[in-house]
Amino acid sequence: MIQGKYFEDVNVGDTVIEMEKGPLQKLQLVMYAGASGDFNPLHTDDDFAKAVGMKDGVIAHGMFVMGCVGQAVTSWVPKNRLKRLGVRFAGMSKPGNTITISGVVTDKRVVDGENIVTCSVVAKDEQGDVKVSGSFDAALPGKA
Amino acid sequence: MADLSKVGTEYPPIVWEVERGKIRELAKAIGDFNPIYLDREAAVKAGYKDTPAPPTFLTVPMMWCGKMPDFINDLKINFMMVLHGEEEYEYYREIYPGDVITGTPKITKMEEKTSKSGSKMDMITLEVLYTNQLGEEVAKARSLLVERK
Repeated sequence: MIQGKYFEDVNVGDTVIEMEKGPLQKLQLVMYAGASGDFNPLHTDDDFAKAVGMKDGVIAHGMFVMGCVGQAVTSWVPKNRLKRLGVRFAGMSKPGNTITISGVVTDKRVVDGENIVTCSVVAKDEQGDVKVSGSFDAALPGKA
Repeated sequence: MADLSKVGTEYPPIVWEVERGKIRELAKAIGDFNPIYLDREAAVKAGYKDTPAPPTFLTVPMMWCGKMPDFINDLKINFMMVLHGEEEYEYYREIYPGDVITGTPKITKMEEKTSKSGSKMDMITLEVLYTNQLGEEVAKARSLLVERK
């Protein structure tokens, strides 16, 4: 994995993020419900989740997984250098899943004097099933 | 099924006072123990004015304001069939404890799409541009809601 955080050290195709989170616990979803204000019982109440067709019970909030992606991204680029983060929710995450988040540089360019890198980012479970995929833009410092 | 004529609708603004404890609570719930979210001194050392809001913080005013069910009702979306398809944030300035942020939710796009399997869906894009108490733009949130039909 490339640790370089200077614009000049980062190249298209570099893997710049690799973070493992988990296994996911039900308690985290209760904490996330309270923190975020999303009290849809699909995420905290097994009986409710089963009644609406989730045979194993509760599933994670999509935004919880996006939060994990945000954590992974800002473990590489400081928060105040992140310009954009966007994701598509592709699959459901369940308690017990271990989520691996990886990021790869897809573009680099100078815009209005800022060194912008764009990276793809994907969160997969231990089976390789995609939970969230997306991209982010960050402004990196230059060496000059 | 969503009322596609509602595109362009603006809803009353969400006004939200950002609390230090809420920033810490969200970071901990995610399991993100980056000290910039938990400790003011560590944040200042890292170049922030105070503990900044984490990247997905704007879900907090959106969910806690409690207005999402009103939007969904007004758009004639079937609550049981709606999925959160996408979420995107553009960041312009840091959001700090004590900030009062204001965002006006706007329906910017509504369209019907057909999936590969042939089922029809309505795609609804909701955008909220947030400004702080100084009138500075801090971030834009864009949510894509998908209603299966």
